[in-house]
Amino acid sequence: MAPMNTSHRQTHNLLLISKLLSLRDTASPLALVLDSLEQPANPLIKEYIRRAKLSKVHITFVAFETLKPPEGVDAFVAGRRKTPLEIIKAVNATYTNVPASSPSRRRLILIDAINPLLHAKRNDAQFNVSSFLSLFLMPQSPTASKAEVSLVVTFHQDVPSPPPLSHYIPTPLSMLTYLATTIIRLHSFSHILAQKAARDRSLVAPVFGLEEEQDGVLLGRLDRPVGNESAQGVVLELEHRRKSGRGVLEWYVLPPASRYPPQYAKEIVTLLDDHPLYRPPQEPDYGAGEEEPESTFELRLTERQRKDREGVVLPYFDAQQGDGPGEGGRILYDMGEEDDFDEEEDEI
Amino acid sequence: MPSQPPLPPLLTPYVSSLPPSSLTLLSSVLGATGNWLVLRFLHAALSAPSTPDSAFSFGEGKNGKKQKVVLVSFLRGWEFWRSEAKRLGLDLARLTDKRQFAFVDGLSELFSAPTTPTTTTTTITQTPPPSQPSLRGGPIPQRTVLPARSAPGPIPARGPQLAPRPAATAPAPSVPSAPREIGPVKRLHWSGNGATALEKLEKDIADVVEQLWATAATTEGGEESEVLLILDAPDLLLAATGPNKGVGATEMSDWVMGLQQYVHATVMTLAADSPLIHNTSAFGHQMATPLETEHAAFAIGSAHRAHMVMQLRNLETGAARDVSGVLRVSKGGAWGQRDNADEDGVWEEREVLYFIQRDGGVSVFGRGE
Repeated sequence: MAPMNTSHRQTHNLLLISKLLSLRDTASPLALVLDSLEQPANPLIKEYIRRAKLSKVHITFVAFETLKPPEGVDAFVAGRRKTPLEIIKAVNATYTNVPASSPSRRRLILIDAINPLLHAKRNDAQFNVSSFLSLFLMPQSPTASKAEVSLVVTFHQDVPSPPPLSHYIPTPLSMLTYLATTIIRLHSFSHILAQKAARDRSLVAPVFGLEEEQDGVLLGRLDRPVGNESAQGVVLELEHRRKSGRGVLEWYVLPPASRYPPQYAKEIVTLLDDHPLYRPPQEPDYGAGEEEPESTFELRLTERQRKDREGVVLPYFDAQQGDGPGEGGRILYDMGEEDDFDEEEDEI
Repeated sequence: MPSQPPLPPLLTPYVSSLPPSSLTLLSSVLGATGNWLVLRFLHAALSAPSTPDSAFSFGEGKNGKKQKVVLVSFLRGWEFWRSEAKRLGLDLARLTDKRQFAFVDGLSELFSAPTTPTTTTTTITQTPPPSQPSLRGGPIPQRTVLPARSAPGPIPARGPQLAPRPAATAPAPSVPSAPREIGPVKRLHWSGNGATALEKLEKDIADVVEQLWATAATTEGGEESEVLLILDAPDLLLAATGPNKGVGATEMSDWVMGLQQYVHATVMTLAADSPLIHNTSAFGHQMATPLETEHAAFAIGSAHRAHMVMQLRNLETGAARDVSGVLRVSKGGAWGQRDNADEDGVWEEREVLYFIQRDGGVSVFGRGE
């Protein structure tokens, strides 16, 4: 039962992540990437760009923190000192000169960090995240070429936000998580492994970086904290909201970019549960042989035997029905064909 | 002379040859200040010509370009840096004359309105621009003007302030506007509000950078040079102005990003003491003040933008006689943005201990070494 379930989950969720990362079928118009200093979003953004390049998607990079355009980006819009409206105009302008006949009708808009925009003092009171983001998704004019737009927005979770002006409006983060169709939380693989190792021993899971609350520590990351070369990679905690409303939760591992060539077309993301470091493959005979004493008898049950055993109604269940004194508690036994009935011994 | 080499070998890969258009964040706490590390950055960038016999050629970028430094200090004045650098064998005054170094003073007159004497000095120095060196040698006429600073009322001072200032900054920012200082010390003034005031500061600093560029182009026969910008404690600016003046973490980051565009690489020091960082975290059990929130947002946001984060802190086990603190070098949020690994430089994250001796020499060593 269990293995079938896993393989089902595997195929479905791996299909889902490759659909999301490759922006197929506009599976998710707004993806929110929540990163932190312990695991920045860089590797994931690069993976988005790599896949978009492979499928010839037009990429616009809206930079609030980046000075130089990353490699492989078609258009670069600096968001520094611009009002939200100016940014939207600039972003839309980058797509107008794309020929309408071009085969790629899809476009990817990456925002490297939305925090500066959310907290800028120059924003007026009318600024609204939801309307700002939806202006990207909607074509500016009906004549404009309609492209399937996917928006990937990065939000730094660990950057504190100033107290809201009004207590009755939601914080920007809760607004974003409400709007997003996909939320990807990033974790460092080595940290996940360290936390799992602690949990397996029933210890308190360690925390890293800012959460340590140590004086003077901003970043806790070191190159090889576990002393393990292969513990590199990014863990993606994915929450995807389907159109039906059903949510999908899954954990994935994105290996470091040095592990595969840039033109590699196959899926490289794996489930976290399938990763050999997270869940070491169990060798069935090895473990069993250690635990149990050697015997010539077969001590384990077969599947049929287990089912039969579960079907047995034990006497006290019968007794609880209370059909009067003496009635309950009888041993009811259906004779099988292999039973040999002995008149003298087995009087019931 | 310090018994230690001025630049500890363990530090060399971290302080020399910073990648282009990168931001290096240097965070410190009260008990473990980062001045010594700033001086190491200065030394790595400036010392090459004076020590040609050393094993490493620090002063040149990896592509052989000459390095120049603009130091913008908000917490310490020119005298401090000059005397501290002297202990390392760097003569900042001489380097300023050689147009390899420029100091921008963000401390002395940041908030004191430029009074009449300063405007008169700028007008005085403006009239004889070719006689700069002699002025630097004997700034006697300005010294006589100095006592009059408190005398004039604010209202007549404000009148001419707007008119001569742009004229004074644009043509000759290297002219000593302060009488007692040696070298092209540019003093920053805060005027106005919010982003416009920051833009003005940005322009002032950019002028100094461009001045270095210009001299490089003319005097050195077009030899290419890289300018390293060191921003010492710009968090003072944030703390002193704050949200009331329309300055928040975003505005500060925008300001730093603007400055980054003018230079090859940027080093920025920030305070990372617990109250300034952790009071706003989700685990903080108290209401954070606006200053704490903005500072934390600025510091953490900068770490996200930084290529390398150097964190100084106290020894967890308490004070020790032979250890001054811990230095942890980590990759910041912007590390690995380039596909080209060479541009990012080859260095490893690591944590080392350091000890500052009485003579200013610093030894850096691993734990247990």
